[in-house]
Amino acid sequence: MLAKKERLILELLVSRGAMYGLQFVERSEGALKRGTVYVTLGRMESKRLIESEQAAPEPGAIGLPRRIYRPTPLGERTLRAWTTFMRDVAWEVKP
Amino acid sequence: MRRSTDSPRAPGTMLLEIAPLLFNEAFISAVVRPTIADLQSEFAAAGPRRVKRLRARWRGYLAFWTLILVAPFASWTDDAPRAAGGRAAVVPVIVALFMIVTLGAWTAAVAAAAALVAVLIHAWYERHPCELAAPSDAVWRSPQINFSSTEVAGNIGGLIFVVGSVMIVSLGVPAIFWFLCAGTVAACFLAWGLVAWHARAEDWTCAARRPRQWL
Repeated sequence: MLAKKERLILELLVSRGAMYGLQFVERSEGALKRGTVYVTLGRMESKRLIESEQAAPEPGAIGLPRRIYRPTPLGERTLRAWTTFMRDVAWEVKP
Repeated sequence: MRRSTDSPRAPGTMLLEIAPLLFNEAFISAVVRPTIADLQSEFAAAGPRRVKRLRARWRGYLAFWTLILVAPFASWTDDAPRAAGGRAAVVPVIVALFMIVTLGAWTAAVAAAAALVAVLIHAWYERHPCELAAPSDAVWRSPQINFSSTEVAGNIGGLIFVVGSVMIVSLGVPAIFWFLCAGTVAACFLAWGLVAWHARAEDWTCAARRPRQWL
């Protein structure tokens, strides 16, 4: 079972490549919130659907480096399987 | 991120310092640090424009405080007892804040009074446990006071319950104070009548009942 937000994150990662938290918020057009997006990302990482690494710090920068997320092969397969499953279900319930 | 000219520390540094008091290391690493990194990056990207910097700060802090509310429900973290404790602490805080915002501080105070009465009743029964009278026949008729699924015996504990309930409702809806007083007096007469009737009724048997304990 893939939650709605998890599917959206995987779709964004597969279609647009690696990104960091605020980019998910901006590109989801309000579906993901900045206060909770990292909780969802953390959960997905624990399920091995995505992986992350710290971005290289910019020269002269202070503060924490950003974390960049990308899909794992398992995440991509899960998204494909889920999309196929939903399409089949939609086809079967069609009158 | 460029160093700010008017701030000695990057925004979010203090939040990062208090985070270990609130979250476990897994949660800090996966959630708190990226959230603060976003705040600092957005703050740096705002440049010298005060409004944009203030907006970045506000959004970052709001995200952090949202984390405090949602963290106890993040079930993927590996600190189950701490998360359960956090849930137990967070839920009353959320309820209290929701009540203050939506219904006002007065209603929240009444709710707090209700909670206090509940604690008092519980403490009373912990110190003075009593057995409720149970008729031996199949028909369940008992003189105890029933409030939904809460069983309250007809002793001092029951009196705390009744007086507390009346006080809470009258504090919440002052207009019905005298109605409640009259209702309490009428209820006392009704209770007295019921006890007298049960005492005379033939099907009322409490063979194993102990003498009434008022204290």
